[in-house]
Amino acid sequence: MHTVGVVRAGGAARAGPRLPALEALPFALPLLVFLVTLYGMLGWTLYVSLSEWSGTAPDYRFAGLRWYRLMWGLDRFWVDLGNNVRWLVLGVAPTAVFALLLAYLLEIASSRRLEAYLRTLILYPAAMSFIATGTIWSWMYQPDRGVLNTLVRAAGLGGLASGYTTDPATATYWLIVIFVWQYFGMSVLLLQASLRTTELQEMVEAARLDGASHLRTLLQVIVPNVRGGVLVVVSLLLISALKVFDIVYVVTFGGPGYATDVLAFFMFIATFQQRLVALGAGLAMVIFALAFLVIIPYTVYALRRWFE
Amino acid sequence: MGSASGSSRGGLVVFVLVAVLVAALAGYWVGTRRAGPTTAEERKLEIFHWWTAGGEREAADAMFKAFKAKHPDVEIVENPVAGGGGVSHRVVLQARLSAGIPPDTWQTLGGAELKSYVDGKYLEPLDDLWNELRYREVIPKPLADAVTIGGHPYVVPLNMHIQNILYYNKRLFDQLGLQPPTTFAQLLEVASRIKSARPNMQPIALGTKEKWEAAFLLDSLLLESGGPEYYVRLYKGEVDVRTDPTFRQALQRLQALLPFVHRFHAGLTWDESCGLLVSGDSAMVLMGTWAIGYFKSRGWEPGRDFGAVTFPQAPDRILLFHPDTYGLATKAPHRRTALDWLRVVASPDLQIPTDVTQGGLFARLDIDPQQFPDPIRRELQTFVRSNPGKLILDQHGSIAPFSFTQAYWDVVAAFVSQPNVANTVARVAELFTTYKVKEEAAWYRWP
Repeated sequence: MHTVGVVRAGGAARAGPRLPALEALPFALPLLVFLVTLYGMLGWTLYVSLSEWSGTAPDYRFAGLRWYRLMWGLDRFWVDLGNNVRWLVLGVAPTAVFALLLAYLLEIASSRRLEAYLRTLILYPAAMSFIATGTIWSWMYQPDRGVLNTLVRAAGLGGLASGYTTDPATATYWLIVIFVWQYFGMSVLLLQASLRTTELQEMVEAARLDGASHLRTLLQVIVPNVRGGVLVVVSLLLISALKVFDIVYVVTFGGPGYATDVLAFFMFIATFQQRLVALGAGLAMVIFALAFLVIIPYTVYALRRWFE
Repeated sequence: MGSASGSSRGGLVVFVLVAVLVAALAGYWVGTRRAGPTTAEERKLEIFHWWTAGGEREAADAMFKAFKAKHPDVEIVENPVAGGGGVSHRVVLQARLSAGIPPDTWQTLGGAELKSYVDGKYLEPLDDLWNELRYREVIPKPLADAVTIGGHPYVVPLNMHIQNILYYNKRLFDQLGLQPPTTFAQLLEVASRIKSARPNMQPIALGTKEKWEAAFLLDSLLLESGGPEYYVRLYKGEVDVRTDPTFRQALQRLQALLPFVHRFHAGLTWDESCGLLVSGDSAMVLMGTWAIGYFKSRGWEPGRDFGAVTFPQAPDRILLFHPDTYGLATKAPHRRTALDWLRVVASPDLQIPTDVTQGGLFARLDIDPQQFPDPIRRELQTFVRSNPGKLILDQHGSIAPFSFTQAYWDVVAAFVSQPNVANTVARVAELFTTYKVKEEAAWYRWP
């Protein structure tokens, strides 16, 4: 969108005495709307987070960093931050690694039919909403009569039966499992696409001709050369993991206590339940700052390619 | 200007864009503007409520039926949002209120929630309407006080939910020869006797997924440990929790009950926890009057399958309550119709069918308790009639501000999952100061 608008404007200016800005307007308009909406909202949220707004009526008196200080002082905030880091690490790393392995397996699998079948199968979860998957998983996790514990007990391994999401020590990890399950298929698909560039295919072929094993090809040829694809997948996963809300809302509602709470969920509670709108806005700014940090590697990579 | 057609085409584009923008702004302005009081008013009522789930939906229908019977010409526009306790309801309502386009009337609890709307100047005081209806004379004083902020009543309450009711499996209690407990000591005793007679049972059902359920249990223990005056002082922020022996004792008692509480409470909602009684996993649950409707929907008859007692009844029998109410929006687009609505809300014609269906008690004391089909509410309403002073606004609905209450539920729910008395005392004390409870709850008066 961006490049289209700019190129047209430049072209028109060189072509003759027409009015380039006006010509460009229809093309630049979507971009403008997008930028104004995005940065307008962002600026507005920042402004609200520095205001006195608590309660149902807006109150824009300047409060400085009062709500941020309150936030640092809350035990819940640090629990949330810890949980968000768990989501970022455990929700993303295994998904990306397993997805790469499977994408490669599908590439070297001899049967095309098997590949098509497997791909549909693993992509299926991505087509469902978190509300649906969250509900189904919470039934499976149900410690008394849920299918997981029932199977474990039926296999005579009653000792392994778990409280799953009702055990404060492990609840977050069980939620992350749902996330991994849901995003796995999409990651495989994206990585498969990046494996299929002609350049890479040729390199793989050359490596195979030289007698490299599949594993060695993966580690020494593919991994260093699909950085772009991996970065896209990882960035997407990081952002999805960072903004996670639905799974927590549906499965545990942040509980037990606030053991599985995350920043996005606390933002919802603070804004609409506690009615501390400024605090909610402050939490949103923290999420934004984290998102910003998290996508820096991708931005650097993209910019470097841009200037190459 | 070499190319006139080019520039005029460009001009046309700009003109169209500007026109669209102007039209959009004008449309928005017209949309937010309200017809003045001189214009004839449409007979329409825009109403927000959260009674959308099964059981409650029928109560909402009963409410609207009563209104339609008196005002058949009014078109009722509901904006119901599915979701219990008004969680998503509040999100939509908040957006409409901040945008300056309120509905005519909306459902709110009394106490702190009501106060947040009054502080935002979203509700009109209803002194005239209350005087016209003589409403203060027909409802209990604690109920009137719970909806009176700064000397003015702001809403019309239509019911009272009682929070501290202990439901029990009557057949089991009869089999084991147990009396329903009304004190902490009795509860502990009964729980352990059930546990030894039925080792597979976890005697006390609890669901803390939505958190507030955990605070119910603690509330009852606080009420017994400290008495009614203490309960009010605590949630008004007048007690120093850090050094207070009563709060500590209530937590210790809660901890003592935990071995008898259903293990997987963190995954259960309130109705699922009541379901544990029906399925035979548990024998008792502390829940509000709305549970009666749930048990009946599962085919359990009050007095035959389950019984109910006020818990605790020492040092005094106190009923912790919160009302459902409706008010009048400051910028109500259909003011006169909304006032007609409130008159109906205050009347027995609406309260009898609605409250019988939904599960609370009647707000009006002049309605015959025999209107209730179940013995539990007949008894409660009779008690309220002769002891209106034994009602206290509960923390659920609430005395303390919502910012505190929500955070408090989380801390208590965390305690039930991982009990640590010292830690919890410190957290709760912190919440009282962080959310300025003393300042925010100063409006509440009891007795």
